[in-house]
Amino acid sequence: MKRRLPLRIFKENSFSDLAWQRFKGKKIGLFSLSLLLLIVVMAVFAPTLALYDPNDQSALFSGTGVYAAPSFDYPFGTDRFGFDVYSRIVYGSRTALMVGAITAVLATLIGILVGALAGYLGGQRDEALMRFTEAFMLIPSFIVIIFLVRIFTILSPTSFLRNIPLVTLWIIIFTLTIFDWPPIARICRAQFLRIKEQEFVQAARCLGSSRYRILFTEILPSALPPIVVLAALEAGSAILSEAMISFLGFGDPKVISWGQMLRFAAPDMRWAPWASIVPGFFIFVTILGFNLLADALSDALNPRLKE
Amino acid sequence: MNRILRHTIRRILFMIPLFMVITMLTFYMIDAIGDPVTMMLAEVPGVSQSQIEMVKKFFGQDLPVSVRYFKWLFNVLHLDFGYSIYKGLPVGSLLVAYGIQTMKLQVAGLAVSVLIGVYLGVKSAVNQYNKKDIAIVSSSLLGRSLPAFWLGLILILVFSYWLGIFPSHGAVSYADYIFGNRVLDELWHMTLPTLMIAFFDLATYTLLLRSSMVDVLREDFILAARASGLSRRTVIWKHAMRNAISPLVSYVGYTFGIMIASAPVTETVFSWPGLGVLFVDAITNLDYPIVMGVVFILVITVFASNLITDIIHAIVDPRIEVE
Repeated sequence: MKRRLPLRIFKENSFSDLAWQRFKGKKIGLFSLSLLLLIVVMAVFAPTLALYDPNDQSALFSGTGVYAAPSFDYPFGTDRFGFDVYSRIVYGSRTALMVGAITAVLATLIGILVGALAGYLGGQRDEALMRFTEAFMLIPSFIVIIFLVRIFTILSPTSFLRNIPLVTLWIIIFTLTIFDWPPIARICRAQFLRIKEQEFVQAARCLGSSRYRILFTEILPSALPPIVVLAALEAGSAILSEAMISFLGFGDPKVISWGQMLRFAAPDMRWAPWASIVPGFFIFVTILGFNLLADALSDALNPRLKE
Repeated sequence: MNRILRHTIRRILFMIPLFMVITMLTFYMIDAIGDPVTMMLAEVPGVSQSQIEMVKKFFGQDLPVSVRYFKWLFNVLHLDFGYSIYKGLPVGSLLVAYGIQTMKLQVAGLAVSVLIGVYLGVKSAVNQYNKKDIAIVSSSLLGRSLPAFWLGLILILVFSYWLGIFPSHGAVSYADYIFGNRVLDELWHMTLPTLMIAFFDLATYTLLLRSSMVDVLREDFILAARASGLSRRTVIWKHAMRNAISPLVSYVGYTFGIMIASAPVTETVFSWPGLGVLFVDAITNLDYPIVMGVVFILVITVFASNLITDIIHAIVDPRIEVE
C-alpha cells in the first residue's frame, strides 16, 4: 500500500524532473534529440514522405534511367537499378532504427541480468560471471558476427527458420546482441556492488523484502543512469555494424538498408557519387544522434561527473 | 621479472584448451551447414553423384568430422594448413601472402592513429577548456560517429577519382610503378587505406588520453616537478605521460588483438588483397581450410596481444601487480 502525506508541502522534484531540466539546458541534448526525431519521423511516415515506392523501378522506363543525377523528380538521383535514392533512404531508416533499438534493448536486458546477479551475489559466482563477460569482450566480434550471420543464412532456407519473415535481419540483430551485452553487464555489476551496501538497501533487507524485490525495485532504478547512457551508444554501434554487414553483402536482401545501398552504389561512385554519399550521410546522422544523446544523458543523469 | 614469467606460463597453459574449444567449434559449425564440395559442384552442369563422391574423397571430405578435425589440428601443429578447395592453393602460403598485406595496413594505421591521438590528447589536456580543447573534443565526438567505411569511400572519391592523386584500389601497381620504385609504389597505395584505419579509433585514443592526462596533471608530483625547475615539456611528455598512458596501452593492445576484425571492411572498400577479403570470400564459399586458417591466426593474435599488453603494463607502470 502506498502511503501519502496528507498535505503536499513542497513541489516534488523527482530525479527524472531534475535530469530533464539539466538535459534541456544543454544545446547538445536538444540537437541530438532533433536528429533522432528526424530519423524517427522518416521511419514512421515513410509511406507519406517517400515520393515513390522503394521497389519502383519506373525510372528505367521513363527516360530517367539508372544513375540519374539529382533532379526535381528524384531529389537524390537514382541508383544502379533505377530506384529512387530518396525513397529508399526514407524506408531505410526503418531498418536502421529497428536494428538499433532492438539490439540495444535486448543487450541491455541481458547485461542487466548478468551484471545484477554478479554484483549482488558476489564471491565466486561473481568471479565466474565476470570472467565469462571479459572473455566475450576479447572476441574480435565483427568477424565472428559475419561468420555467424553467413552460417545461419545458409541454414535458414532448409530449416524451420524459413517461415520467419525477414529472418536474415533477425539473425543480424541477435548476433549483434550476443556481442553487445558485456560492457553493460560490467557497468551494471559495478553499480550493484556500489549500491547494495547503501542504507536504503539494508533497510529493505531488514524489512524482509524478497531478493527479487531488492534486486529489481530497490537497486535497479538507482543503478540505471550509466546503463541508459551505454544503451544509447550501443544502439549507434549496432546501426553501424548492420550497415557494415550489409555493405559486405551479408545483409538481408529483402529489406532496404543504407549499408546495402552503399554496397551497390560504391563500385560506380565515380559516375554517381550521390548514390553513395547520401546513404552514408544518413548512417552518420543517425549514429551521431545516438552518440550525442549518450553524452547529453551522461551529463544530465550524473551531474557530479563534471564538476 | 620472475613473477611476470610465471604469469606468462600460466596464461599460456590456460590458452591451450581454449584454443582447442574455439577451433573445434568453428570446424563443427562449418561442417554442420554443408560441405564446400557439393556447393562448388552444384554450379557444374551434369555432374553425377559418384563424381561428387570422388572429389569429396580427394579433399578428405568423406571422413567423419571428428577425424577431420584432429587431422587438421595435427597438421596445423606441423604448420600444414591444407589446400584451399576453391583456389586450389596451399592455405599456409595464402595466409602468409595475404597476412603480410593486412599486417602492413593495420600496423601502419594503428601507428598513425596512436601518434596523432597522443598528440591531440596531450594538446587538449594541457589547454583544458580552452578553445583548442573544445575544438579537439567536439571534433572527436563528431569523428566517433563518422562511419569509417563511408569515409574510405569519400577518400577514394575525392583523392583518386576527382583529384587523381592516389590509387583507388589494390596494394601495388601491375606495371609502371610510381617513381619507378616498388617500395614507393606500395607506400603510395597504402596511403588512403591507412588514413581510413587510422580514423577508426583516433577519436577514442584522443579522448582516452585526454581524460587520463587531465587527471594526472592535477596531481602534486607534477607541481613538484615543475617547481624543481624541470621544463614544461619534460614534465608533460616524460613525467605525466608515463602515468597517463596506461589506459591507452591497454586499449591499443586490445585493438591490436582484434585488428583483423575490422579488416574485411577496409579491404573491401579498397580492394586490398588481405586476410579480410580472403575470409569474406572463404565464408561465402564455405572454403573451410581458409576459414580455419584465418581463425587460427585470429586466435593467436588475440592471445599474443593480451599477453604482450599485460607485460608492457608491468614494465611501463611498476605499480601494477601482475596477479
